[in-house]
Amino acid sequence: MQHQGGWIQRLLQVCRDHGGTLSMLAIAAGLFSLPVLAFGADAAPPAPTEYRDVPYVGARNVIWVIAQLHLLLAGFVLGVPLFAWVCEIVGWKGGEKRYDKLAKEFTKLLTSAYSTTALFGGILLFLLIGFYPKLMNYLSDIFFPSFIVYCILFLAETATLYLYWYGWDTMQEGGKKTFHIFLGFMLNFFAFFIMIIPNSWATFQSSPVVLAEGSDIARAWAATWNPTWWPVNIHRIIANVVLGGYICGAYAGIRYLSSKTAEERSHYDWMGYVGNFIGVFGLLSLPFAGYWLMREIYQYNQQMGITLMGGFLSWLFILQAMLIGVLFLGSNYYFWIGMTYRIPGSDIKYKKQMLAMLIALLVCLGIWMTPHSLVASMEEARKMGGSHHPLLGVFGVMSAKMTVANLMILVTFMSFIMYWRAGKQETVGWAKIAKIFMGFILAVSAIVVIVLGVWGYFVPAIIRINYFSTSQVLVVLAVLLTITPLTSILLKTAKVTTEMNWGVMPPRAGYSLVLNAIMIILLMTLMGYARSSSRVHWHVYGVLRDTSQYAYSPALGYASGIMALCTFLFCMIVAFIFWVATMGDKAKGPAVSSKAALPQGLPAMAGASNALDEPNGRKL
Amino acid sequence: MSEIVRLQLIGLGVMGLGILALLFIRGTFIRVTGFVTIILGLFTLVSLSIPQMASLPPVEEKFDIATVKTPTDLASIGQKVFFSKGQCALCHTIGPSESARCPDLKGIGAKLSREFLYESLTEPQAYIYQDYRVEGLAKEYPATMPYINKNPIGLSRNEILAVIAFLQQMSGEPISIAVSELAAPEQAPAVPVQKAAESVPVAVAQVH
Repeated sequence: MQHQGGWIQRLLQVCRDHGGTLSMLAIAAGLFSLPVLAFGADAAPPAPTEYRDVPYVGARNVIWVIAQLHLLLAGFVLGVPLFAWVCEIVGWKGGEKRYDKLAKEFTKLLTSAYSTTALFGGILLFLLIGFYPKLMNYLSDIFFPSFIVYCILFLAETATLYLYWYGWDTMQEGGKKTFHIFLGFMLNFFAFFIMIIPNSWATFQSSPVVLAEGSDIARAWAATWNPTWWPVNIHRIIANVVLGGYICGAYAGIRYLSSKTAEERSHYDWMGYVGNFIGVFGLLSLPFAGYWLMREIYQYNQQMGITLMGGFLSWLFILQAMLIGVLFLGSNYYFWIGMTYRIPGSDIKYKKQMLAMLIALLVCLGIWMTPHSLVASMEEARKMGGSHHPLLGVFGVMSAKMTVANLMILVTFMSFIMYWRAGKQETVGWAKIAKIFMGFILAVSAIVVIVLGVWGYFVPAIIRINYFSTSQVLVVLAVLLTITPLTSILLKTAKVTTEMNWGVMPPRAGYSLVLNAIMIILLMTLMGYARSSSRVHWHVYGVLRDTSQYAYSPALGYASGIMALCTFLFCMIVAFIFWVATMGDKAKGPAVSSKAALPQGLPAMAGASNALDEPNGRKL
Repeated sequence: MSEIVRLQLIGLGVMGLGILALLFIRGTFIRVTGFVTIILGLFTLVSLSIPQMASLPPVEEKFDIATVKTPTDLASIGQKVFFSKGQCALCHTIGPSESARCPDLKGIGAKLSREFLYESLTEPQAYIYQDYRVEGLAKEYPATMPYINKNPIGLSRNEILAVIAFLQQMSGEPISIAVSELAAPEQAPAVPVQKAAESVPVAVAQVH
């Protein structure tokens, strides 16, 4: 730039030195050359640039990594306020100050996390405009009105976040606290719409609709309301809660591992417990949302559904099963070691149940991971009589997979209930009947799920998908929605027989929390690849074809490398955000909350106790 | 060295680094980072051990009329289109199958006239049943059978005629399509992308 500036200055100096002669000559030459413009107008204008590339790395890879990081950060930024708001309400209603502290600790992250997410969003936008101008022109033409709404929502979200965070300490009492809770609600309200608007752009690419003539707003609205928009919205909001919960757990796990004092160990042990609890809570409902999304994809376009489930992406679902299976195992394992170490006596009491649940989970995972077509040599295939194994082939179909997925949810739910009830004695008179009833509906639901799964082999696929699988999902949902409130009521007046010991977990508990977080991040990157690849060689399925050199979907091995890279980078970014956000705390030293006691009322969040809030109430 | 081997080596290297960090470094953050890299390396290695299938965009096949001398040649091209660009075999079978998602096409060339077959491919909602093996209400997005002459499949008229010739031949029927019926390439242009927005398989949304 400096060199160019110098050149211009020298040119101007020459013009001045020659008394304007050169300038006059230049103007004359310009006038004489005007007719050339007319000739130029006849020539064909250069074709608009459709794609640009990055040498060696490839434009698609750059976009892939940046988009995935932006999406993960967005999931984190949208999941954490939800998580923090729920914790704040629990602390407010239940009178447990540590929940309020936890909520504040995570809200503190939001300011830096929010700007980092916006930064990646901006980078993504510039890169998309630069690398994929054809696609961006097309999408801008349709969605421009929603861009404006998106910007307004961003302003509202930013203002609300500032008020929510900076007003935390001053809005702690009475009506101010209520207003602060309302701000938290508004924060999540705006965040929800900030999530669903970009969802409409992405889902339109997968399931476009015919856009009738009309105003810009009408066209944008029609494109927004495409068949997979709401299934993706619901799936993502649940996934964000799960991500927020497990990242909270992983953060607590790392802090727990590096804790120096007993107080720190207790706090981060408890925080890890809460993070895992919220992660599992979301995880239990996530498969249902995923099932609905898949069903809508099949309804919309059977070819796309087949590409995903039976075409080149079919092996992806074996990887998905592996990741979800490890996530279920990791979450259950954390519950089990929690019972073993935190609640003395529970390890002996529940040893058999834990072993049975472990076996059930492993069997279910084995079935879920069984592929429909086995990788076999010609000779092996001949012996089997095809690519389907005579015995294992039975497990490779959707009927078996839906059944075991539902059973895994039931087993995890049992684990969760067991943990919740451990160390407590119900005091109500009808406790025995309630427990028998709960055991009965758990057993019946498991039997119904298995019967429907086996029956599913003998009915046409469409009957199975429309009725049997849906019934399995509804049965499990009914169990969750019946037993959770019933247990909550039972335990509200329960007597604590064994107080929880916080801070006595072995180091492997911290690592299991990190493992869970990595699993959910990998799952999100894997399904991002699935969603994008299901469009095959289309930017907008069936409408705008990808004519770039990257119009292919890479094989899973290569893709998994990118997914692993994205996961690693995301973890590093989040670690940096946590480090930056907690730098001030280290300088200040441990702060002692001087807040007045908050009103009592709600029971402690599943399995927790109020011991940490009471002076010297902590047991070690 | 193939790309898979290279990626496997990278995965193993990353795992090795993680193991070294866990074995020899005492700092918690580095140890946890090592643990994370072990998981990521393991995930990559598992992903590399399953069948590697990339999805390549379909090759723009040229329908060279000059190579079609007889109706049998046409049926031969139709067979290729049926199993590749036309994506017919993705849902349809030839002969009964338990896993069939859509009607069995065995003998279809004998049961249906060529005009009906053509209409079924180009106007699938005109007459055929909207849903296979289903009783009850119609689905919300009833585009089960895609428009074969429109995107994303987008067969040309010549290619559709070739598929019909194949179906007739496969059913033991005389092929009723003459080679002279084929249009020259300039008369049977490919489906323009811009026009596709007016077509289904994309569902029709109401402007609210």
